[in-house]
Amino acid sequence: MWKFIVRRLLITLPQIVLLSVLVFLMAQMMPGDALTGQVDPNVSPEIKEQIRERLGLNNPWYVQYSDWVTGIAQGDFGQSFRFKMPVTELLGQRLANTFWLSLVTLIFTYIIAIPLGITSGRYNDTLLDQAITGYTYLGFATPLFIFALVMVWVFGYQLGWFPTSGSVQPGLTPGSMDYVISKFKHLLLPALSMALIATVSTVQYLRSEIVDTKQKDFIITARAKGASESRVYNRHILRNSLLPIAAFFGWEITSLISGTIFIEQIFGYPGMGALFLETILLRDYSVVTALVLLFGTASILGALLSDIILSLVDPRIRIK
Amino acid sequence: MKKVSFSKLLLALMLVFLLVLAACSGGSDEETEGTDSGTDTEEGTEEGTEDGEEAEESDGIYSIDDFNVDKTNEGEAIEGGTLNYGLVSDTVFEGVLNRVFYEGNPDYEVLKFFDENLLAIDNNFNYTQEGAAEWDLTENEDGTVTITFNIRDNVNWHDGEPVTAEDLLFAYEVIGSPEYEGVRYYYIESVVGMADYNAGEVDTISGIEIVDEKTLAVTFVEANPSLLASGLWSSPLPKHIFEEIPIEEMAESDAVRVNPIGFGPFKVETITPGESVTYSANEDYWRGAPKLDGITLKVVAPQVVANELETGGVDVVDSFPTDQYPDVEESLTNVEFLGQIDNAYTYIGFKLGSWDADAGEVVMDPDAKMADVNLRRAMWYAVDNDTVGERFYNGLRWAGTTLIIPSFPDYHDPTIETPSYDLDEANRILDEAGYEDVTGDGLRENPDGEELVIKFASMSGGDVAEPIANYYIQAWEQAGLNVELVDGRLMEFNSFYDRVEADDPDIDIYQGAWGTGTDVDQNGLYGRTAAYNYTRYASEENDDLLARGASADSMDIEYRQEVYKDWQQLMVDEIPVFPTLYRSKLVPVNNRVTDWSIQTEWALNNKFHEVGLTQEDPVLPE
Repeated sequence: MWKFIVRRLLITLPQIVLLSVLVFLMAQMMPGDALTGQVDPNVSPEIKEQIRERLGLNNPWYVQYSDWVTGIAQGDFGQSFRFKMPVTELLGQRLANTFWLSLVTLIFTYIIAIPLGITSGRYNDTLLDQAITGYTYLGFATPLFIFALVMVWVFGYQLGWFPTSGSVQPGLTPGSMDYVISKFKHLLLPALSMALIATVSTVQYLRSEIVDTKQKDFIITARAKGASESRVYNRHILRNSLLPIAAFFGWEITSLISGTIFIEQIFGYPGMGALFLETILLRDYSVVTALVLLFGTASILGALLSDIILSLVDPRIRIK
Repeated sequence: MKKVSFSKLLLALMLVFLLVLAACSGGSDEETEGTDSGTDTEEGTEEGTEDGEEAEESDGIYSIDDFNVDKTNEGEAIEGGTLNYGLVSDTVFEGVLNRVFYEGNPDYEVLKFFDENLLAIDNNFNYTQEGAAEWDLTENEDGTVTITFNIRDNVNWHDGEPVTAEDLLFAYEVIGSPEYEGVRYYYIESVVGMADYNAGEVDTISGIEIVDEKTLAVTFVEANPSLLASGLWSSPLPKHIFEEIPIEEMAESDAVRVNPIGFGPFKVETITPGESVTYSANEDYWRGAPKLDGITLKVVAPQVVANELETGGVDVVDSFPTDQYPDVEESLTNVEFLGQIDNAYTYIGFKLGSWDADAGEVVMDPDAKMADVNLRRAMWYAVDNDTVGERFYNGLRWAGTTLIIPSFPDYHDPTIETPSYDLDEANRILDEAGYEDVTGDGLRENPDGEELVIKFASMSGGDVAEPIANYYIQAWEQAGLNVELVDGRLMEFNSFYDRVEADDPDIDIYQGAWGTGTDVDQNGLYGRTAAYNYTRYASEENDDLLARGASADSMDIEYRQEVYKDWQQLMVDEIPVFPTLYRSKLVPVNNRVTDWSIQTEWALNNKFHEVGLTQEDPVLPE
């Protein structure tokens, strides 16, 4: 077991290094930089050139890369050109928002997925099952940004049940009880919108797994031994069917930090996804590269986590 | 049977989603770059819905003349109340809340409520004596001019400290310092002794003198009319707060990002980074205490701005996406839309030369493909910009005439005759100039009988960018000109400006846009030594007019008007570029708000203390 994890970790390291090189090179190849957008006659090309020189944008890429990596090794992602603050601090602000949003989304996703998946699997080919699968197909087909707009229109504006933008009501003191409650209220609608769409694949996996497991020999054995129907489902079938979900879990964790561009944009929610989009448009490279590296690392680690979870629950998967 | 009905239901649902999809297709992938008062560029297009036929049916054509610039008051203002202000923006509110350091326009929208310039301006962006400081100009014998700022006695920072001459000097020292990393140096470049100070050779700026606690005298190397047309740095920096902070760390300090102060009508209470700011009234405001108790500002996504207005979530926004106006004009009965001409124009530019970086000036190429002014004029005659404005922008953009837009009422000359759509005239000019169709393929050859293919560069962004580019190409084809898109497609914003700036030989003409800023001086855009003179046009007459427009003689406004009238005429005769569309800017205001205005003289002088509300809760649609 430990051997497996160590081996898996050893592969991860070069993956991250390779990722950092790729991220950096791609950012270099994007047309324009933080200054090209400033087509302003008052800011002469000479001044722009001075700023580029000061920021080190004129150095060859390997020099810039080594500066960048040295910084990261010391936990310093550099300075954001547009936000005029350390990237680390900026990410810190946004990460907290995205983390809470994703956590609530994740909880909603499982709250919806598990009962629906079990019902649908257990009573497959009934009307109930068809309704649930119908919902999952709709979910697959609906683009998230449309769905979120519909949700915000219905529940935010028409019914007025939820706040429609931001992560907290303006003017509250951080740390107070009102503040926490307001934060939670602001989370609900975006989290729910996202969960209702994101959950469908989990429902489907769970359903097909249950349908599959139902026909396995050991279930027949269990039944033959006289185990009650609920015991068969809860102890035997469910345990084995949760496997793919466990495998997914590592990936889901990744989303805790990457956030969602669409949701965050529509709900005016300042998280990592919105930051990513904004900084690309502004060509604020120090932030973009930091974000991509972070997202990339998160998915590599997420995959690692998935593998570990999977190997814990299913010994057959451990690579020899 | 059951299954059939289920699939029918599914089909119906799918259709519903399809409709929703079509209705919501206004993307938000538009890129805008902008700074404050400086002349800046924007991409040439904004997303619009599929309005062609629809507009004709409902006659959804609007005119900017039908909009007010001042809010009609509907009742008496109550005591207090909180105004909700929406910041609609594609670019992010970065939170650099200080005039010395900020770059993005959203940050300006936030800081305008709590900070202001010492000098006030009129509708032509010229300084008046109404501001927090009075000014006085003395022309010295050696050709330099001295501007004396006299700060009023009752002007105080939000923490109670008086705004002093020392604070204003401190702002000049910070911007002039070699450690300063922002882009405002151009404001103070021409102060006597600034170059030495900026190079780090001396510790004081010789041209600035503190006369007394509230009076500062700043001497400039030469008289320039731009100085009095909002070209002075007049925003002090509170020295008692920033003194301790090293200059390179100021922009990231709490004094800029967390608890910034100013001397404007409102004080910052709380800031939630990237999403909202709350303000309270500054009872000590020098123009008098505000009527409102406070303002709540929040960032609103362009997709939901109409809903926010409808439900009263916001009372006012900084600027409404004009392409959504036809959809909401009837349903939003609870707001009044104010409108005026936006400080920007779209134009077609003709590449006439190249940039000589060593000499720092443009070099005209007499053999350039577009060098013949008749060809350029014919191209102007061949396009129908009023129809473009009606079809793609519901009349909220319209054909432009001269390069100084009507936002400068003193300088814009509406009497100048400019080419407007006339295909016959376009054909006649081309025939006379020798552009004949020799090969008989319906397309004209150049006077030497060689094939003429004009390469057109245009930016992507928004739904209408492509149809408009195609329209122009077809319109020119009607006149027998073969115009093609560079590389056969639209260009992304950054590559577009990279290539136009580098005088890419593949580009003969291009469509761009300029923000006009606050000064009519055109040296930065059309001067011989201007790197942003992307057409690379230069002529002696142009040099002369632009130099006169920025000379000491032009301190006399009437003289300056004459100069710029001549210059507008010159540009119509020579056509290095021609303006295609002027734009409008719309600002919706809830009916409960009183005394809001979007006039330059009101908005840029931060007269938000006058604003009141007629009732506690927002007015909702009937």
